[in-house]
Amino acid sequence: MTVLIRFIIIVITLMFFTFFYLYINDDKYYPGADFTTSDMPDFEIKDLYSERLFNIKDLEGNYLINVWASWCITCRVEHSFLVKLDSKDIPIIGLNYKDEAEDAINWITRFGDPYKYIIHDYKGELALDLGVTGAPETFLLSDGKIIVHYRGEVNDMIWDDVFMPIIKKESLFDAN
Amino acid sequence: MKTIRKQRLITVLLILTTSALGSFLIIRALDSNLDFFFTPSELFKEEIPNNKRIKVGGMVLEGSVTRDKTNISFVITDYEGSINVKFDGLVPDLFKEGSGVVVLGYLKDKTLIAEDVLAKHDENYMPPNIDLKN
Amino acid sequence: MLIEIAHFLSILATGLFFLCFIFSFFLNSKDTYIINLVSRIYTHSFLIFLSSFFIYIWLAITDNFSVLYIAQHSNINLPVFYKVSSIWSAHEGSMFLWIIFLTFWGAIYNIATTNKQLLKARTLGVISLTSVGFLLFLLLTSNPFETILPLPPENGADINPVLQDPLLAIHPPMLYMGYVGFVIAFGQAIAFLFEGDPEIKWEKQVRSWSIASWSFLTLGIALGSWWAYYELGWGGYWFWDPVENVALMPWLAATAFIHSLSASSKSFILRIWTLLLSILVFSLSLFGAFIVRSGIIDSVHSFANDPERGLYLLSFIGLLVMTSLLLFSYRFNNLQSNKKIVSLSKESFISINNIFFGTLIFSTMLGVLYPLIYEFIYDQKISVGAPFYNAIFVPITLIACIFLYFSIDSKWQQSFNFKSLYQPLFLSITASSIIVVLAYYKFLIVSFWTLASLLIGSIIIIRYLIVIYFYFVYRKFANFFSIIAHCGLGLLIISIALNDNLSSERALNIKINETEIYKDYQINFKNLRVVPGPNFDSVKADFVITNPNGKVFTLTPEKRKYFARGQVTTETAIHASALKDIYMTIGDQLDDGSWIVNIQFNVFIRWIWFSAIMMVLAGLLLTHSLSRSRS
Repeated sequence: MTVLIRFIIIVITLMFFTFFYLYINDDKYYPGADFTTSDMPDFEIKDLYSERLFNIKDLEGNYLINVWASWCITCRVEHSFLVKLDSKDIPIIGLNYKDEAEDAINWITRFGDPYKYIIHDYKGELALDLGVTGAPETFLLSDGKIIVHYRGEVNDMIWDDVFMPIIKKESLFDAN
Repeated sequence: MKTIRKQRLITVLLILTTSALGSFLIIRALDSNLDFFFTPSELFKEEIPNNKRIKVGGMVLEGSVTRDKTNISFVITDYEGSINVKFDGLVPDLFKEGSGVVVLGYLKDKTLIAEDVLAKHDENYMPPNIDLKN
Repeated sequence: MLIEIAHFLSILATGLFFLCFIFSFFLNSKDTYIINLVSRIYTHSFLIFLSSFFIYIWLAITDNFSVLYIAQHSNINLPVFYKVSSIWSAHEGSMFLWIIFLTFWGAIYNIATTNKQLLKARTLGVISLTSVGFLLFLLLTSNPFETILPLPPENGADINPVLQDPLLAIHPPMLYMGYVGFVIAFGQAIAFLFEGDPEIKWEKQVRSWSIASWSFLTLGIALGSWWAYYELGWGGYWFWDPVENVALMPWLAATAFIHSLSASSKSFILRIWTLLLSILVFSLSLFGAFIVRSGIIDSVHSFANDPERGLYLLSFIGLLVMTSLLLFSYRFNNLQSNKKIVSLSKESFISINNIFFGTLIFSTMLGVLYPLIYEFIYDQKISVGAPFYNAIFVPITLIACIFLYFSIDSKWQQSFNFKSLYQPLFLSITASSIIVVLAYYKFLIVSFWTLASLLIGSIIIIRYLIVIYFYFVYRKFANFFSIIAHCGLGLLIISIALNDNLSSERALNIKINETEIYKDYQINFKNLRVVPGPNFDSVKADFVITNPNGKVFTLTPEKRKYFARGQVTTETAIHASALKDIYMTIGDQLDDGSWIVNIQFNVFIRWIWFSAIMMVLAGLLLTHSLSRSRS
């Protein structure tokens, strides 16, 4: 009788926790990751430094867009990882979100520039079109299409688990 | 001896039947009170009866919001399918065109009559509660 | 510099707690010297850990933004109170607070337990081990001591204005105090099982601790409900949100537990139930922590997290629960009491009560897990809402209350005295039926469940009033703690039923200087002003309300737009009175200049929280009484 009880206890507890384990490890578990493909919106953008205007659709190839701001603390933490990506020749375009140009430029000067180019989205209009709700967020683009939208800080773990599988599959960035 | 065993048997049977009955009632209550969640494109792939309460989530289509006194109509889309929504009442602060929304309500002639419109709060930069999955 | 010290102190405390555990379980825990040793190590560990926390508070108050967490959640412009409360506004910090409270309960248990120390050392050991588990979780996966160096920001992040609220600041601490307080009962239960001597009366010692924790838990839940009511703008007080449900389940288990405990502490009856419940309460608390912090459930409350944290918590909790249950199964045979439960004794009512509560817990758990299971198997998202929970909770609670009614006359280990039953029964049924009939005619209530709830709620209160009467007139025994708490329950049932049935709301489309009429109330849109605030702009709408009796008052709901991220929040305006709340919010402005506003009449809603306060009061009074009689 007691052996039966013991057996039941072990089995039920194991079932309970195995279920959660599987659920957590499930592919779509990362709550911040969105893999829906969508087109890059047609948008006139402004460069942070030169105030030059051009259409974002003119950007070609495969690249990342990283949403950041000088008021965003977590962006500070993410920054060193972006520098690492930049040193591996992964092109990142910065989207400076709802930030004063002066503050943004000071921030970049102070901490370093991992971006190929920085968009100054003062009112957050492009961000709104992209579905951005805060910072930091990172998009992966390939041939004018957004294929990954990640909300939250990107670090080694997130990069390896969320971005790398797609990068490898589509062979986006050489020798990575 | 036998009466004690008989008593125990009765007790065990009683416990089993009440548990079975109880579980059955609870699971029945569960089944009849589930709210299914659909994206607009999933909505028309299935036959959804008019008396079934459902949840639909997506983005509020730009330019689709019209108001008439306390009534508001808009379109929810996931950029593949869309659905008209009608609601009488206040919409939450986070509700706006181009933003995510979840509506709880009933389908009536291809229109969703909403009981509740939700656009959940985020904490810091937490994303809205909608996952636009294929 | 300071942050490193705090970090180090936490690590040191972890090591010391572990040492405490080792000593308590691997040395002779009955030896007075060992008991004192364990006790002292525990105190030292706690004080070291507490110092770490105090340093952390200091860092928050002094705006030390080199600490990443403080930079992410606090801000120079915050009042001191909110700088402190920002510590527990997100995952890492609130976990820190959780462990502080966990070890704190252990610390006061340590000091207060001076006689009958048979189980003390091992109980402290269990508490220490649990603390170590959570401390490792904190330090390894959710480190609040991380720094942003060498260049810290000048100011912290802009805070979510919703979080700057006094109630919201107190609600988590109260809740945590409730959750983790049950570690004492859990620890003592484990120590008892480990020892294996059925003669030890572990139950008596944990009563006051458990009832105190229960009171905090009740208070914490009530505060959360009240906050949601005035802050979220929907006018509801309970949403059956998964996160609310995982707080409710420990509360249900705790309530069953303290009742079962009162039986087991008097005799050895219902011991098995009490033991299982003590394990269940604490496990459900931990399970709640897991669900909220693992990112599995998306909700207003959930902290965004990565799988690593979820997995750690899951394994830790799984291990703890499985070990306790296995230990229980090993000792099961020893625990079989020779005493049978006398039919219709108080113990029998309590065991029936346990079954009811077990069913409620099971159903709630099902409601929480089913969407997850369903989504996992069918890849289809579903949600379980109020209709399910209402369908389960209403009938079961009412039936349980009927049993409660009869249990009032029951006695310990004796059967009913049927003679004493009839007169009060007749009286209470008559009185409550009159109330129901009155309600039917005055409020025109026709709903079966509302009337049933009214009947049963009033029958309980009236029965207790009779008990009070008998106490004063015939000097018959009355347990006032039980009376207050259960009258609170009766009132809760009545308030919820009336609130559900009689409340109403309407959205109005109104222009300035216009008056709308709703339910014989005149609502005049007097004025609209734009008022600048410290970090927001506010649009205030003044409404002059005239009630059917001619009384006039103003309500000013507002909308605020915060500068930093353009976030818009709604501030509700509430006119509270004994019978109902008049609740207003403003929506959007239409193109023609008119506004959409919402007005709600929330009937009897204050009584809901008042009944919760009654229960809290009863619990605190009983705790006080128990601890007095112990010394």
